[in-house]
Amino acid sequence: MELDELKYQLKDKLSTDHTGRSDADIALLLTKRTASVTDKLKKSLWLEIFLCILMLLVFGAISIISKQSSLRIYFSVFTIVGIVFLLVVIYLLRRTKKLSSTTLPVKSNLQSIVRLIEEFTRRYFQITMALIPICFIFALLLAYQEKHLQDPSAPFPGGHYFSSLWQVVLFVIAYMFVLAIVAFYFTKWYLKKLYGKYVQQLKACIEELGE
Amino acid sequence: MASEKAFISLLNQHQKIIYKVCNLYMDQHSDREDLFQEITLQAWKAYGNFRGDAKFSTWLYRVALNTAITFFRKEKRKPDIYSTDQVPEQGDEPGDGIEEQVKAMYAAIGELSKIDKAIVMLYLEDYSYNGIGEMMGITANNVAVKMNRIKTKLKEETRKQLAFTEM
Repeated sequence: MELDELKYQLKDKLSTDHTGRSDADIALLLTKRTASVTDKLKKSLWLEIFLCILMLLVFGAISIISKQSSLRIYFSVFTIVGIVFLLVVIYLLRRTKKLSSTTLPVKSNLQSIVRLIEEFTRRYFQITMALIPICFIFALLLAYQEKHLQDPSAPFPGGHYFSSLWQVVLFVIAYMFVLAIVAFYFTKWYLKKLYGKYVQQLKACIEELGE
Repeated sequence: MASEKAFISLLNQHQKIIYKVCNLYMDQHSDREDLFQEITLQAWKAYGNFRGDAKFSTWLYRVALNTAITFFRKEKRKPDIYSTDQVPEQGDEPGDGIEEQVKAMYAAIGELSKIDKAIVMLYLEDYSYNGIGEMMGITANNVAVKMNRIKTKLKEETRKQLAFTEM
């Protein structure tokens, strides 16, 4: 038999196992937590906003009250990076909120979720990668400058282990290179582990709708 | 508060829609309960933007299908055509040909992809190809092509299921 011939029986079968819920049961459901990916993203973004504000307060305070100029510069730069990051996170949160409160057709909804997750992971990745040079090279340069200002005859950093400055520079470059590769692949793996499979499944649905 | 009451009342009247979607997408009772909760919550969150320019039932179908299709929390389990959890007992008479066909077709629908399940669900609810297209975000022509493919797939799968039960 074909689908059309069994249409009414199937319709009946689909609506069986229908226990029925009272208004009170439904009201209780409204107090529960959701498990949707947009809500998980929202929760994660709120946490990042909270941590970012906390970081801005601490780093901002250090950049004002510290007596060492290198620390002031270092934490001022981090405060600026933190402000940029905060703006990005707020923008993503607004987009996520907008998406979860609108009811789009299935295909547009899938596309919007994929775009949102991809943008979220891209920004997260960019920030993580941008922090590596800021943390290491910038810290090294500032520490060297601070030391040099205090004592112009002081040896270059790493002078105890290396005989000349170019060896230090070479070591730092190699160290940075290895660190960047490790961070690159680790961040990619972590983001893929978090959302990779989910995005793939959503993309498969979009592709199916496009056929 | 008034809006919450109105929403609960509307949802109560249309809860059968959510049950249908849950039955279609989830095999296990606990999974269906989870999906019911998720659809209810998503509908409540989107209710503020429901303008009433479409019927509540159409809007609820859209929310329910969007939620079910993007609900990947648990690994998809293959439907068990003999599971009492899957097939209701009422009206099951041994040797009833139609009932066997319905069971086999129901199991075959369970084997479809999430997108095909959504299209079949709307088709069973007598939505036109235009209506299905609007809901899914594709053209009516695309719906017609898909529906033909789905019908062929279901016919073959039903035949397999029936052959399996006769063994």
